[in-house]
Amino acid sequence: MVADLPVGFWSGWIVVLTCVSLATLAWVVLSVYFAPPDAKAEDAHEPVWDGDLREGASAPPLWWFWMLLGAMIFSLVYLMLYPGLGSFEGLLNWSQGKRLVSSYENYEQSFDARRAEIANLALAEVQADPVLMATADRIFRRECSACHGIDGRGQASLFPNLMDIDWQWGGSPDQIEQTLRNGRQANMPAWGPIIGEEKTRDVAEYLLDFSDREHAGRLVYEQSCAACHGAEGAGNVFLGAPNLADNIWLYGGDLDSILTTLQEGRAGNMPAFVENRLDATQLKLIVAKLAR
Amino acid sequence: MSALSLHKRIEENTGLLIFGILFVSSIGGLVQILPVLNQESLQEPTANTKPYTAVELTGRDIYIREGCSVCHSQQIRPLIAEVERYGPYSRAGEFVYDRPFLWGSKRTGPDLHRIGGKFSDDWHRVHLIDPRAVVPESIMPGYPWLASRDASQTGDIVAKMQALSTLGHPYTQEQIDAAESDLEGLLEIDALIVYLQMLGTGLDEEIIR
Repeated sequence: MVADLPVGFWSGWIVVLTCVSLATLAWVVLSVYFAPPDAKAEDAHEPVWDGDLREGASAPPLWWFWMLLGAMIFSLVYLMLYPGLGSFEGLLNWSQGKRLVSSYENYEQSFDARRAEIANLALAEVQADPVLMATADRIFRRECSACHGIDGRGQASLFPNLMDIDWQWGGSPDQIEQTLRNGRQANMPAWGPIIGEEKTRDVAEYLLDFSDREHAGRLVYEQSCAACHGAEGAGNVFLGAPNLADNIWLYGGDLDSILTTLQEGRAGNMPAFVENRLDATQLKLIVAKLAR
Repeated sequence: MSALSLHKRIEENTGLLIFGILFVSSIGGLVQILPVLNQESLQEPTANTKPYTAVELTGRDIYIREGCSVCHSQQIRPLIAEVERYGPYSRAGEFVYDRPFLWGSKRTGPDLHRIGGKFSDDWHRVHLIDPRAVVPESIMPGYPWLASRDASQTGDIVAKMQALSTLGHPYTQEQIDAAESDLEGLLEIDALIVYLQMLGTGLDEEIIR
């Protein structure tokens, strides 16, 4: 979870190096301030200026000494209270990792009451609450708008418009929730290689005008397409087969786009949005926004 | 012996002085860096972290070549705001097979460490070719040439995998043998998308959200 403290040899390594460094520092400081006077003048070759000015002639200012002493005491107290000496956790038992975990917990708990409140609301009540719907808009912008557009009207001729009446996988709250929870994978096979170029063109032309019952493409449609899209082209929300009889075309409704769809197939993919992306409350808000 | 006489000895001997300076300035590193380099818990791959496959490795090299890491970091810090926006914060064990690391230090675009699975392949394809087709306010440049170059042109994949396996990445001989055929028929954009879709999926544990 959180990086742990060093153990074994390296723990000892840290402890020894830290303590030896501290002790050396203490020895340097103490011996500069409290060296016996004769030790300072032991070497006759040492340069002397103005008769008596030489290295170590007088000790550094005393306030330095108190500062250094204070710093050393502080570091000893710090190393006792907080993790610093190898695997020793410190007397306060504090660590950045533990603080992190508890701050997440506090953060999550701060929403508990509001979440419980929202869980008890009916969908219509959520939809009637402007504050909740503003939150839903923000979640939508963060999680959904990259594909479906800031306004939710779809884009790039790949990602469906969520604001119209047409729902490829069903527009009831339950169906929308399923789409969000598990994702969706559409699978329109490439018909070009199967039925050949001529029939592909026939059926594409027929799709442009469903009312033409005499069209050559009708027979092809009934053989190859009706199983998923329905005899009347109404689609099938359980298969994600879109309605072909309305004037809403995800991948484009002109002859060329329809031909491309037929020849190459389509495999629209909606990723799943539950794990780590939307919690139950956020999911409910998004469903409330979309199922209207 | 007092510190003053030691000081005098060191000052009068240049070699000793140089050694002393180097020794004292290395202590910080000896205490702070050396033990971490040897700490096993930081080098253990997380549950789902595996060596990059041939396709992922190629995608990663394209990511490096195109300079993605100049604008996108791959490192989510353990702060609530970051976790809320990007997902679980990055763990040391997720990067054991990263040579070099692509952590980055500049976020002109968003962090990409948990981008895997966030968008569909189709979205990535449209977005890489023309970012403004799906994100109107985006300032990211388009990378249309990725859709017209073969992934196998990116470099000698077998040599790359052999080099990594010399460095200790546990590739099997079969994986290396199959590397070239894995890339067959793929465009650079496909390889890059495969890499993006696996980013940040190495974590498998009770995740703090």
